[in-house]
Amino acid sequence: MSYLATSHFLDDNEFVDKYLYSMRTGELDLSWMDAATKEVHCTSANERRGLTFRDLDVDGYGFSDLPEVVRENRCYAPRGAEIPDGVPDMQAGVNRSSDVWAYNVEGYVEEAMSRQWDATTDIAWTELQEAELPEEIGKAYAQLLTFLTEVEMIATDVPAKWMGQVNADFIEVKNFIALQAMDEARHAEVFRKRALSTGYGLMRASVQNEYNLKFLRDAETFSEASVTLHLQAEGNVLTLFRFSEYISPTDADKKMFRLVMQDEARHVGYGMQHLKWLIKHNPECRETLHAHLEEAENFLFGSIFANEVFEPFVILSGKGLKKENIDKGLVITGMFQMRQTEEYFERLDKCGLTDRRERSRLHEVYELTKQGLAAQGAI
Amino acid sequence: MKVDFPSTSFFEALKDRMAQEQDRFTKLGYFDTTFGVTVVGPGEQRRNYLLNFEVYECMGAREIDNLEGEDPDFVLEADIAQWQDMLRNIQSNGGADTDHGINTLTHFGEGMKVIYDDPERHDKLFRFSESIQEYFDLAADLQIEYAS
Ligand SMILES: [Fe+2]
Repeated sequence: MSYLATSHFLDDNEFVDKYLYSMRTGELDLSWMDAATKEVHCTSANERRGLTFRDLDVDGYGFSDLPEVVRENRCYAPRGAEIPDGVPDMQAGVNRSSDVWAYNVEGYVEEAMSRQWDATTDIAWTELQEAELPEEIGKAYAQLLTFLTEVEMIATDVPAKWMGQVNADFIEVKNFIALQAMDEARHAEVFRKRALSTGYGLMRASVQNEYNLKFLRDAETFSEASVTLHLQAEGNVLTLFRFSEYISPTDADKKMFRLVMQDEARHVGYGMQHLKWLIKHNPECRETLHAHLEEAENFLFGSIFANEVFEPFVILSGKGLKKENIDKGLVITGMFQMRQTEEYFERLDKCGLTDRRERSRLHEVYELTKQGLAAQGAI
Repeated sequence: MKVDFPSTSFFEALKDRMAQEQDRFTKLGYFDTTFGVTVVGPGEQRRNYLLNFEVYECMGAREIDNLEGEDPDFVLEADIAQWQDMLRNIQSNGGADTDHGINTLTHFGEGMKVIYDDPERHDKLFRFSESIQEYFDLAADLQIEYAS
């Protein structure tokens, strides 16, 4: 117990007497009824959609007028409420709009709430339990699922770690990352369930991947955590989910990947909108972001070429372990990795970090893969 | 009632089926995108459709000459044989099988291309992936007359 009250309320005679007086006389204070707040009556702009955060963006309560630095609200007073003197400073670590805000975050949070699904009941587990996979495919798939579960567990922890750090005035962002933690927990759940229903169970964690996960978790600012988690890592995972859907052995597996893909794309959307907002409102952050991405790309390179990550892709996309399967798998995996990198740079371009392409060593890898595939006549 | 593919009445029939399946699409969640469908062929012919989804419904499906002026989030483009193969597969399985889903067909652009300018709006194909697939899967219930 590290935080203690400055007085014992039961020993505070004035406080206790006030309570006893009200109990005896029925006289209430009622000063809160004159709180210095706005009377508003928000309604749904679109009844089919329901009452959304955007419908609450009105004078006195809205997000449109959020200042760059939130100084006034140091506690959990909901934005728009009167904050009395003497509330404790909760010491939120993230108090600048540019550090967390994103264009359309209020839309992403509603979409997230509306598109929740259930790993226990929305997947055709009975159909999957009956699906027999050849041993090499089954083991490769179980290895891919092991890797994905590892990744999703860190993706749950990162937003959860920052949630309590974000100032309460950014309620839309707090709710978005709360829902993201829920999404990622569901992903870890669904991949674990799928691995344990393949007949092979889990395979092996990856050293290089774990380094990458540690890097993602230990980012020192929310924006660094966001650009690496939402945009770089989840952007790559989004392409990976599409690829996994593409190589999935059954219809039910495909549906599983389509469902996780939806959530992941939403997180990438938030990440892009945040990066755009950050660069516009705090352009001097560019160099810090470049430095962070430089290291992130190094970790990512280690992770995607780790044996436990790269090899299952090759086997799954080539559909086996014979020489011709491996050859085919290498080409398809190379094409997938090129697409992953291309989409990463495309997203950064769109957010205004256009010079990342020239500065990134990942782009050298992209060019090398391209040359390799061209030499094989694959592209 | 038979509907021709490709035609506006085909996409309108899917829109009506979607309205009948309101509970299913409500469970899937908000579905807010406007995307294009281009059917190439036979020959030089290109037929373009603009599909508009909002909240849980398809709000409109119409044929247009040129998608560019309409600014869709993305366009799914394939030749007529590919679209017909996908729809026949959906009809025989009650939904696309592992080789005929939109993501599988578009992933490497082998069967179907995704055309887009803006990566954020391209990502709507993935944000609403299951809704889009289930929308096309509704073709399983239609009687389709294929253009030859
Ligand atoms: Fe995830």
